[in-house]
Amino acid sequence: MIKSKTRMAVGLAAGVAMAALAAGSASAATAPSVLKIGTLYAGSGPFAVASQSEYQGLQFWAANVNKAGGVFVKAFDKKIPVKIIAYDDQSSTSTATTLYNQLITQDKVDLLVSDFGSVLTSVAVPLAAEHHMLLIDPTGSGANFFTKKTRYLADVSIPTSTVWPEALAHYLLEQKIKKIAIIYGSNDFDASQATELKRVLGKGGVDPVYFHSVPTTESNYTVLLHTVAARHPDAVIEFGYANNDIAFLHALSASGLHFNMTFTVFPGQLLSLLTKNVGAKALAYTYTYPTPPLVKYSDVNAGMNTDDFVKEFTAEKHEAPNYLTVAGYNAGVIMQGMLKTSPTFSQTAFDQALLDMSGKTKTLLGEFRMTDHGSQIGELFPIAQLIPEGDSNKIVVVYPKDKATGTAVYPAPK
Amino acid sequence: MVSLLEYAVIGGILFGIFFSLIGIGLNLIFGVMRMINLAHGQFVMLGGFAAFVVSHDFGLNPLFGIPLSIVGAIIIGYPLYYAVVPRLQKSHDPEMLSFILFFGIAQVIEALAIFAFGADQRSLPGDALGGGNLGILGQDFPDSWWVAVAVSVIAIGGLYLYFSRTKLGYATRAVMADRDEARATGINVDRVSVIAFVIGLALAACAGVFVPYLLGSVSPDIGDNLTATSFAIIIIGSLGDPIGTVVGGLVFGLGTMLMQTFYASWSNLVPYVLLVIIVLIRPTGLLGRAVRHA
Repeated sequence: MIKSKTRMAVGLAAGVAMAALAAGSASAATAPSVLKIGTLYAGSGPFAVASQSEYQGLQFWAANVNKAGGVFVKAFDKKIPVKIIAYDDQSSTSTATTLYNQLITQDKVDLLVSDFGSVLTSVAVPLAAEHHMLLIDPTGSGANFFTKKTRYLADVSIPTSTVWPEALAHYLLEQKIKKIAIIYGSNDFDASQATELKRVLGKGGVDPVYFHSVPTTESNYTVLLHTVAARHPDAVIEFGYANNDIAFLHALSASGLHFNMTFTVFPGQLLSLLTKNVGAKALAYTYTYPTPPLVKYSDVNAGMNTDDFVKEFTAEKHEAPNYLTVAGYNAGVIMQGMLKTSPTFSQTAFDQALLDMSGKTKTLLGEFRMTDHGSQIGELFPIAQLIPEGDSNKIVVVYPKDKATGTAVYPAPK
Repeated sequence: MVSLLEYAVIGGILFGIFFSLIGIGLNLIFGVMRMINLAHGQFVMLGGFAAFVVSHDFGLNPLFGIPLSIVGAIIIGYPLYYAVVPRLQKSHDPEMLSFILFFGIAQVIEALAIFAFGADQRSLPGDALGGGNLGILGQDFPDSWWVAVAVSVIAIGGLYLYFSRTKLGYATRAVMADRDEARATGINVDRVSVIAFVIGLALAACAGVFVPYLLGSVSPDIGDNLTATSFAIIIIGSLGDPIGTVVGGLVFGLGTMLMQTFYASWSNLVPYVLLVIIVLIRPTGLLGRAVRHA
C-alpha cells in the first residue's frame, strides 16, 4: 500500500515536473526574439513637427531599454529587445490608414502606437478594434474615441480633450470674465475642447459672445479677428493646432487689435516653434496650457523624471525636448510597465495591465489614470501665462492656486 | 453689421488681388502650353522660402526675395522646360501626361524643401513690411497686406503691358490663340513658350514672398493646397486667359472673406463651390468667350 502510494507520488511529481518543463519550453519557444512596435510619423505636412517630436521620444525610450538588454516581459519571464517599425504617413489620414493596416497585417507588430494627434489617430482607432489590437495612443485625445468601453484603445500620455478646458473654464469664471469669444478648428480635438468650455461656462451663467469653428486648414485670421472684435470680448480663446496658432497670433499681432486676454493651445507644448514664428513680443501675456517639460514632475515610479529626461535627451540629441517628445517617451514607459505586469502576452491582457496600473503609476507626465473607455484623466492641465522676461517669455502657472507659480497680468498691457 | 460687411468686402478685394497673383502664373502656363503645372503651388512655396532666406540668413528685407525669386525662376525654369516640355509636346496626350509629370515634380520639390528647410513652419518679421495698419473707408488692414497688393497690381499690370505693348507679348497671345497657326506664321513657338513658362514660375514665386504675411507662415507642405486654390481661381476667371485670373481672384477673395465673417466654418468650401457653379453655368469661366468651331 505504502509502496503504491509512494509510486503514485513519484509519478505525480514527475508529471508535474514534466508539465512545468514543457510549459517552460513552450514559453521559450513562443517568446519573440525581438518585440516589434509599429508606429507612424509625419515626415511632412501640418503635423510633421509635432509628430516627429513624438516619434523621437519613442525612439529615445527604445534606445534606452535596448541599452539595458531590452524590455522585461512578464509573460515570457525575460528581457526582449524592442524594434520600432515606422512609416511616414505625410500627415495624411488616407496614407495613415494604409500604413496602419500594413503594420497590423503584413509586419504583424506586437504593439501598435498611433501617430501624433487626434486627426492621425482617428483612422487607427477602428482598425485596431477590427484587428483586436490594443492601440497605444500617445496624443490622440479627441472625445469621440472614448464614448464606449473598449479593450483596444489606451490614451497613455495626454488627457482626453474634453477635460483640457476644465481649469480654463473655472479660471474664466473665477476671474469674472464674462465676454468670451471662442474660435476653434473643425476637428474633434478642438471642437471637443470648445464644446466642453462652452458647457462649463454655461453652467456658470456665461454665454460666449462668439462661438464659431474654422476649417482645420485655416491660415488667415485677419478678417475673422475683426469680426470677433466687433463683439467686444474681454477674452479670445483660440483652439487650434500649431499652424492655426501661428497664423492666429500673427494676424492678431499685425492687426493692431488688442484683447484683455488671449488663449491658445500650442505655446504650452511647442514654445520654441511658436516663439520662432510669432516672436516673443507677439506671444507676451498669451495664456496657454503649460505641459512638461515647462512644468516638471519629479516624484515618479516609472521611467525618468522630467528633469532627468530633459538632461539625458538634450545630452544625446543636442536639442531640447518639447511636450510631444515627452509624450512619445512616456508612451514607451507606460508600455514597459504594461509588459512588466501583464501575465500573458495578449492584447486584452495588455489592456487589463494598463487598467491595473491606473492610479498607481507616476511618470514624467504626472499621474497615469486610465478609464475602461481608454481615456486618460490622470494629470489635468493647469493654466499659465507667458510673462515677458528680457527678450523672451517665461511660463507662469496662474491657475489652479495650488499649482500657481505667480499671478496673471490682467488685463494684458497694450 | 455694415462695418463688418465693409471690412469683409475690402478685405476680400485685397485678398483676392493677392490670390490673382498666386494664380496668374498657372493660367499663363496653361494658356501658352496647354499644360497644367501641378507643381505651381510648390513654386509659390519656394518664393516664401526665398524671402525667409534673404531675411533670416542675410538680414535683408524680405522684399529682396522678389529678385531672388525671379533669378531662381530663370535658373530652374529654362532647364526644366527643355528637359520636360518638348518631350511632352511630342506625346499623344500632352495635357494628361503633364498632369502626371508635374505632380511628380511637385513631390520632388516638396521633398527637397523638407531636406533644405525642415518640415516646420517659418515666418517673417512682422514689421519688415511696416508694422502698422493702413485704412481705407475707416477700415484698417496690416501694412503687409497693402504691400502685397501693390506688388500684385504691379506684376499683373506688367503682364498686361507685356501682352499689349511688346512684340513678344503679341506672339504669346498668338500662341495662346492657336499654337499651330502661330507656328505657321513664323513665330518661334518654343521661344515664346519657354519665356511664358519662366514668367509663370517667377510670378508664382513672387507671390510666395508674401505668403508668410497673408497666410501666417510658409512650410514645405503648403504647395498642393495653393495649386488647388489657384486652379479653382483660374477656372472661375477663365482658363487660359491670364487677365481673367484677376476676376477669379476677386470672386474667390470676396467669397472667402464674406463667408469667414458671417459663417466661418464654411469659408474654405468657397473656391470649390464657386468652381462647381461656374463649371455648370458657364464652363468657359466668367470672362471666357464662346468657342468657335470651324
